[in-house]
Amino acid sequence: MKPDTIKRGLFHGTPLYVITVLVLLAVLPLSILTAVTFGTMRLPVEDVYQVIRFELGRVFLGQPIPAEWAPGTPLHDVVWLIRLPRLVLAAAVGVGLSISGVVMQAIVKNPLADPYILGISSGASLGATVAVMLGVGMTLGPHYVGIMAFAGAFCVSMAVIALANVGGRANSVKLLLAGSALAAVCGAFSSFIIYVAHDDHSTAKIVNWTMGSLAAANWENNAAILVVALAGTLFFLTQHRTLNLMLLGDESAITLGTDLHRWRVAYLIVSSLMVGFAVYNAGVIGFVGLVVPHGARMLFGTDHKKLIPISALAGAVFLVWADVLCRTILPGNEMPVGILTSILGAPVFIYLMARKKYGFGGGD
Amino acid sequence: MKIEAKAVEAVLSGSQILRGVDLEIGDRELVGVIGPNGSGKSTLLKCIYRVLKPAAGAVYLDGRALDRYPYKESARCIAVVAQHNYYNFDFSVRDVVLMGRAPHKRALERDNAEDYSIVAESLETVGMSAFADRSFSTLSGGEQQRVILARALAQRTACLILDEPTNHLDIKYQLQLMDLVRGLDRTVVAAFHDLNIAAMYCDRLYAVKDGRVVGQGPPGRLLTPEFIREIYEVDAQIMTDTAGHVHILFYPGAGNAREG
Repeated sequence: MKPDTIKRGLFHGTPLYVITVLVLLAVLPLSILTAVTFGTMRLPVEDVYQVIRFELGRVFLGQPIPAEWAPGTPLHDVVWLIRLPRLVLAAAVGVGLSISGVVMQAIVKNPLADPYILGISSGASLGATVAVMLGVGMTLGPHYVGIMAFAGAFCVSMAVIALANVGGRANSVKLLLAGSALAAVCGAFSSFIIYVAHDDHSTAKIVNWTMGSLAAANWENNAAILVVALAGTLFFLTQHRTLNLMLLGDESAITLGTDLHRWRVAYLIVSSLMVGFAVYNAGVIGFVGLVVPHGARMLFGTDHKKLIPISALAGAVFLVWADVLCRTILPGNEMPVGILTSILGAPVFIYLMARKKYGFGGGD
Repeated sequence: MKIEAKAVEAVLSGSQILRGVDLEIGDRELVGVIGPNGSGKSTLLKCIYRVLKPAAGAVYLDGRALDRYPYKESARCIAVVAQHNYYNFDFSVRDVVLMGRAPHKRALERDNAEDYSIVAESLETVGMSAFADRSFSTLSGGEQQRVILARALAQRTACLILDEPTNHLDIKYQLQLMDLVRGLDRTVVAAFHDLNIAAMYCDRLYAVKDGRVVGQGPPGRLLTPEFIREIYEVDAQIMTDTAGHVHILFYPGAGNAREG
């Protein structure tokens, strides 16, 4: 018999997982503070931190800002109105996408699930397009585009699961096919609406969405997505036991005291909300929900008690640095972050698909 | 804890599998369900462990209808070792057994020292302590079966349901597992293919064929060559050894060779 080499991850001890969470909790703000010094415009590092210091003093302590650092100066505006909100948005979107990836993987019992691959991001993007171009849902309040994006995400996630269950129980192949079919449908409708509307300004905005970009970040929208991402993560932190049971399937879960059906719907609603707001603010950023949970699983195993906090923090750090890379990789220009995550993430997806143990290999 | 089934009928994708089954299992009784393939053994057990809703009739735990129990509560009464336990994900053995504590937990409750000691004890009981940190999916079928039994033990229930528990096990572990189950002193219902194992360990047997109970009683009384021929269509001879165990010997020819 083989020795105990194969465990549930490289590091399987509980203390190490707690340490990792603490380290990541420290790494995230440090990453943001480091990342804020990078950009197309060269700014002295001390000046960047002075702006942040004075702004934090104003926001939390009501202290006045000296005139040379005040709003309106280019330095202030680049740091406080462009770079920082963008990084906070990156962190929030990273959390939202990673957690909804983890949850969707549990719901469909397959590590290949991801909001992008299952077409849910496309649904959100269609919802947002309909809201922006046709003004649908304007009565829903200031964040109506986000709410419409959530509605699109939720409809598509329900449709994917229903479609994959037609003619027998869902398996990976059917899920992926259902996902890409619905992504195609949503993409086509989005394009149709954009084409017919002929509105240059909105068209540019929507192109940004389909490629995924953090450039449009502002504090007002950040507040909404931060609330959604944090509340969603806190909710799923309490759900680790049920998420574990989901991977065992309906029958085992009932014998262990949980009827999964209503939980599945509840989880879909919460994760669609997270995807919807992520897409509304940053467009379709693919594969984050696939790569981050996969890495966390490789190191710490499948237990959701560890997977949820680690994926959330790692997702935030990941997207902050992905954004830095996007802003620095092309001299004097920046590229949409969705392109980068796809370049990095798609090979991981292919690798997971090819691995016999996962998905296509066997079982259901 | 007493388990009763009254006139249970079950329909699976259009075809009627159970046609009115009555069953009564007393407190701390070890009862076997036997019958040929497709007779409805598993379906009957599924009705008892709530994965299947009976189309008619009902199952009662201590006289209270099963569907009046919340799922959490019934999972604190009945634990199950089912036939298929395949997972697409890598759980450690300890994580799998820890899930047996789920019915005892409220949503925000953390796993405490007691849970971990129950998990360790359950693994010890099935002889899998050394495997606690291993990945469940790397274990052999027999080892997985014992881990699932440990999970069922960690549920600390009064009843245990086993669906062909000895299926993946070699003879040593078959006997070991059944010794262990008999030593638990709980209400146990188990489906068996192996009549010798069933006869050796069960207090009473129910024989199921075509969705009906066709006989029940202590193994020594129920299992006669005539009865085995009637339900399995094979020829057999029954022997009782010096220790009083019933042994069934089968003959080749699928029941048509020794006619007359």
